[in-house]
Amino acid sequence: MSENPQAAGEQGEAPRRIGVYICHCGGNISDYVDVAAVRAAIADDPDVVVATTTMFACADGQQHEMVRDIREQHLDGLVVASCSPKLHTTTFRGVSRRADLNPYAYTQVNIREQDSWAHSDDREGATQKAIALVTAGIAKTRLSTPLEPLRVETVPATMVVGGGVTGLRTAIGLADIGIAVILVEREAQLGGWLGRLGPTFPHDVPGRDQVARLLAEIAERPTITVLTNAELVGKTGSFGNYTAKVHVRSEAADELRQFQVGTFVIATGADVYQPEVGELGYGIEGVVTLAEFGTLVDEAAGGTLAWHGRRVRSIAYVYCVGNRQPEGNAYCSKFCCAATVHASLKVSRLDPTVRQFHLHRDVRAYGRYELLYTQSRERGSVYLRYPDDAPPEVERTADGRLAVTLVDALTGPDPITLPVDLVVLVTGMVPRENEALTTLLKLPTGDDGFYNEIHPKLRPVETVVDGVMIAGTCQGPKPATEAVSGGLAAVTQSAGILKRGFAELDPLVATVNEAACTGCGACLTTCPYDAISSYVCDTGQKALVSAANCKGCGGCVPVCPDDAIDLLGYTSAQMLAAIDGLATTGVPA
Amino acid sequence: MTTVVDVDLLADLKKFGAADVSACFSCGNCTATCLLSDNDATFPRRMIRYAQVGLKDELLGSKELWACYGCALCTQSCPTKADPGEFMAAARRYAIASYEPTGLARVIYTRPRLGLLIGVLVAAVLATFMLTQADLGGLHAPTLALFQFVPNELIHWLGIGAMAAMVLAGAWGVVRMVRATARREGVTWEAVAGSREAVRRAAGAAWDALGVESLGQRRFRQDCDGEPEPEPLWRRRWLVHALTVWGFLGLFGATIIDYGLELLGVKATGTAVPIWYPSRLLGTVAGLSLMYGVTLFMVGRWRRWSATQATSTGSDWMLLTLLWITGLTGFAIEVALYAGQPPAWGYWVFLLHVAVAMELMLMLPFTKFAHVMYRPVALFFYALAKRA
Repeated sequence: MSENPQAAGEQGEAPRRIGVYICHCGGNISDYVDVAAVRAAIADDPDVVVATTTMFACADGQQHEMVRDIREQHLDGLVVASCSPKLHTTTFRGVSRRADLNPYAYTQVNIREQDSWAHSDDREGATQKAIALVTAGIAKTRLSTPLEPLRVETVPATMVVGGGVTGLRTAIGLADIGIAVILVEREAQLGGWLGRLGPTFPHDVPGRDQVARLLAEIAERPTITVLTNAELVGKTGSFGNYTAKVHVRSEAADELRQFQVGTFVIATGADVYQPEVGELGYGIEGVVTLAEFGTLVDEAAGGTLAWHGRRVRSIAYVYCVGNRQPEGNAYCSKFCCAATVHASLKVSRLDPTVRQFHLHRDVRAYGRYELLYTQSRERGSVYLRYPDDAPPEVERTADGRLAVTLVDALTGPDPITLPVDLVVLVTGMVPRENEALTTLLKLPTGDDGFYNEIHPKLRPVETVVDGVMIAGTCQGPKPATEAVSGGLAAVTQSAGILKRGFAELDPLVATVNEAACTGCGACLTTCPYDAISSYVCDTGQKALVSAANCKGCGGCVPVCPDDAIDLLGYTSAQMLAAIDGLATTGVPA
Repeated sequence: MTTVVDVDLLADLKKFGAADVSACFSCGNCTATCLLSDNDATFPRRMIRYAQVGLKDELLGSKELWACYGCALCTQSCPTKADPGEFMAAARRYAIASYEPTGLARVIYTRPRLGLLIGVLVAAVLATFMLTQADLGGLHAPTLALFQFVPNELIHWLGIGAMAAMVLAGAWGVVRMVRATARREGVTWEAVAGSREAVRRAAGAAWDALGVESLGQRRFRQDCDGEPEPEPLWRRRWLVHALTVWGFLGLFGATIIDYGLELLGVKATGTAVPIWYPSRLLGTVAGLSLMYGVTLFMVGRWRRWSATQATSTGSDWMLLTLLWITGLTGFAIEVALYAGQPPAWGYWVFLLHVAVAMELMLMLPFTKFAHVMYRPVALFFYALAKRA
C-alpha cells in the first residue's frame, strides 16, 4: 500500500486516491494467477492508496472493509479485479454508494473469465495478463469523473395494445392503481378469442360471459379510453414519456390521434393454426378444427350432437396438429389439451354414449387440468398415443363415415382403424401477423415468431425496448389464465416505472462536444435507437444526443470524424489511457 | 393388416359387469402384481386395453382370459379402482356369450332375473315332462323303485338328448374359441399336426392342460394361491375348487360304472348295494367332496371371505346352486334308498335330482359351467407356447 498521497498522476493531473482489490475467488483466480505478484506490481503506482488481495471480494465482510477503506483513506476511485462485470457491477456500485463514493468512479476488472479460467495452463502468462488488465483498469479509473443518474419525468398513462382478455384485464388493473389507460383494439369489437367462446375450462363459465364482465368493469372506469378499429402507428419520445400515434378508422373518416403515455403493454394475441387441405384429412367432410368443433358442441347444448343433421356417435380427436412438429412449429400451445379434454366432457354430458377417442402424443393437461383428464377417462374417453413420426391417417369410407388409422402405443405394433363420425383436429396457436407493429416498436421476436421477453423467469413481461411490456399469447401460446397473469405482471411493471413520477437512467450515455461538432450528420444515421437529432445554433448545425433515448452503445463515437462525441464513463481519454496501461506492462504474446 | 375397432365393445362389456374399466389408464400395476401373468400371457392390462379401444377379435382370441383364476390381487393394487379382477371375470362371461351360438348365455349374464326364471323353467319343464310319463301307482311299493317311477328308458334318452344338445352348442363354442385363439396366437394346423414332432408337442400340451392344470390344479395351487393373504387350508381356494372338480368327476365316474354294471347285467340301476360296492363307494366319497367344495364356495361368497368372493353375480350363484341341489338331492336319494321303510318323498327328490342334473348338463355351454370347456383350451394354447 502506497503511503504517498502527494504523488502526481503521469499526465500531470491532480493526484487520485484509488483503492485496488485483487480477488482470489477462493482459488478460481489465485490457483492460476499469482495475486500477490499482481498486487506488488501495481502497489507502487502513486495514485494507488490501497492495494490488497482478498479471498472473496464480494463477501459481506470484505464489502464492509472496502467501505471503511474508502471512508478512512478518503478514496476517490475503486478498482475491483475479480470476475465478470455481469456478476458484480451492482454489488460494488452499491459498496461505493454506501461509502459516499460516486459509483461511476468504480471499475471492474475481469481477471477470472478473461484470465485465470482461460489460461489455466500458463501461470506466468496469466499473472502478466492480470497485471496488465489491472493497470489498465487503474488508468481508466484515474480519469473518471463523477456521474449522476439521469432523471426523466414520466407520464402516468399506459397504452394497452390489444383488446382480448389479456388487454382488457390489464386495462382494469392499471386503472385501479391510478394509471390512465388508452386501450387500442384493431377490430371493431373487444373480446378477442375468448369473447367468441362458450363454456370454457376449467369452470365451464362461457368465454362470452367472462368478457362481458370485463367490459362492464371497463365501462365503470372513466380513466380507460377505449379505441376500436384502431391501430398504433407511431411512437416517438423518450423513456417514460412517449407520444403514441393511433390510427382510428370510422365510417365517416379516418383519424390520426396522439396520446402521451409512459409505457406500452402489447397484448395483441395469437392466431389459431389453420390446417392445410389434405393435412390429416382436413377438407374431407366431417374433419373439423377444434375451434369449429367447439362451436358445434356449444350450439348442440341441450340437444343432440349432430353433424349436418346426422347424429354423432363417435369422435376421434387428433392432437398436436400444427404444433410440436419437427418441421414447422416446434412448440406446444399449452391450452389445446385441456380445451379438448374439456370439450369431450361437454360432449359426454350431452350424450354419455358417444364414443370418444383421443389420439395424442402425450396429454399435457397439466396442473388442475389433470382432474379434467381423469374425469374424461372415467366417463369413457379413450386415450391412444400415436408415434411422433407416424401421425394418424384419415380417410372417408364408402358408407360416408370416417376411418382413422393409427398405431396405438399400448396395443401396437399393428395399426388399428377407428370408424368415427367426426374427426377433430386439435389445432394450436400460431403467432399473429403483426409486421407493422413489430417494426414500429422494434420488438424482438423469437424463432417461433412470438415476442420475446428479457428473461423467461426473472423478467417475464419486459422487453429489451424500454417501457414496452408484452403479455398474453403474443408472447407465446398459453391458456387465458396464464395470459391474464402476464397482463397483471405488466401492470406491476408499468406501475413500477410510472408511479414514482420519474425514472432514473444509467448516465453512461453519449455527449456531443458542441464546439467540436461540425454538423456533418454522419452520426444521425448510425444510432439504432434514434437518439441523435440535429439542431441549428449560431455556429451552424450541431448534433444532439437525447440522454433518455441513448443506450450508451457507443456506436456513434467512432463514426464522428472530429471526435466530437464522447461516451460518459468510457471517454476516449479513459479508453486510450487504459490501452496505454495494457501496452506498458507488456503482455506476453 | 389393420384391425377395425368395434366402437360398441366397451359399452357391451359393461353389461357383463366390467363397470369401472373406463378408469384404467394402463399403468400396468395389475400385470406386475399378477402371479400368473408372464411373457407368454400378459394380463389383465392388455385385456382391458383391448376392451377400451374396441379390439373385439383380439379380446375373444385371448387365452389370457382363461389363464386367470381370479385371486383379485390386481384389484387391490389398482390405483384407479378399475377392478381388473372383476373385468377379467366379466370378459370371460362376455366370451362365453360370444362363443355360443344361441344368445342364451347373453340373456343369463346381462339380465339376471330373466336368467333365473329360465333356470327355474328349464328344471320345471324337464320335471313336468318326466312326471307325465311317470307311474304314480308304484309310489307305495315296499321298496323304493325309482326307475319304475320314472321309466329308466326315458331318463336314459332324455339324458342323451340333453348331452347331445350340450355337446353341439359346446363344440360350436369351442371351435369358435379355438379359431379365434389360433389366429391371434399364430398357431396353424401345421404346428399341431403337421409332423411327428408337432403331434408330440400338441399331445404334451394337451396333457399339461387337462392333466397337470385341470386335474392337478398346478398353477392354481402353486402360483396363485395364498394371496393376497393366506387362507386356512380348509377353505383355500385351489383346494375347495379341486374338491369340487374331483367330486364332480367322481360322481360322473360312479354313474358310468353303475350304468356299465347294468349293461353287464351285474345289477340294475337304482337298486340297493352295500357301502363298499365300487360305484356306491365312489359316489359317496365324490358326493361328499363335491358338497364340501360347493358349500364352501357358497358360504365364501355369502360371507365375502376374500377379495375374490367380494362380488358375486347371478351366474355365479346359478352354477353353485345347480351343483348344490344336484349333490344334496343325490344324498337324499341314498338316504331314502337305504331307509328301512321307503319314504314317499324319495320319489319327488329323485325327480328334482334328475331334472336339475339334466339342466346342469344342458345349460353347461351357457352358464359359468362353460369354463370347463374353455379353460382347458386356453391352457392348451398356453402350454403349446411354453413348449415351442
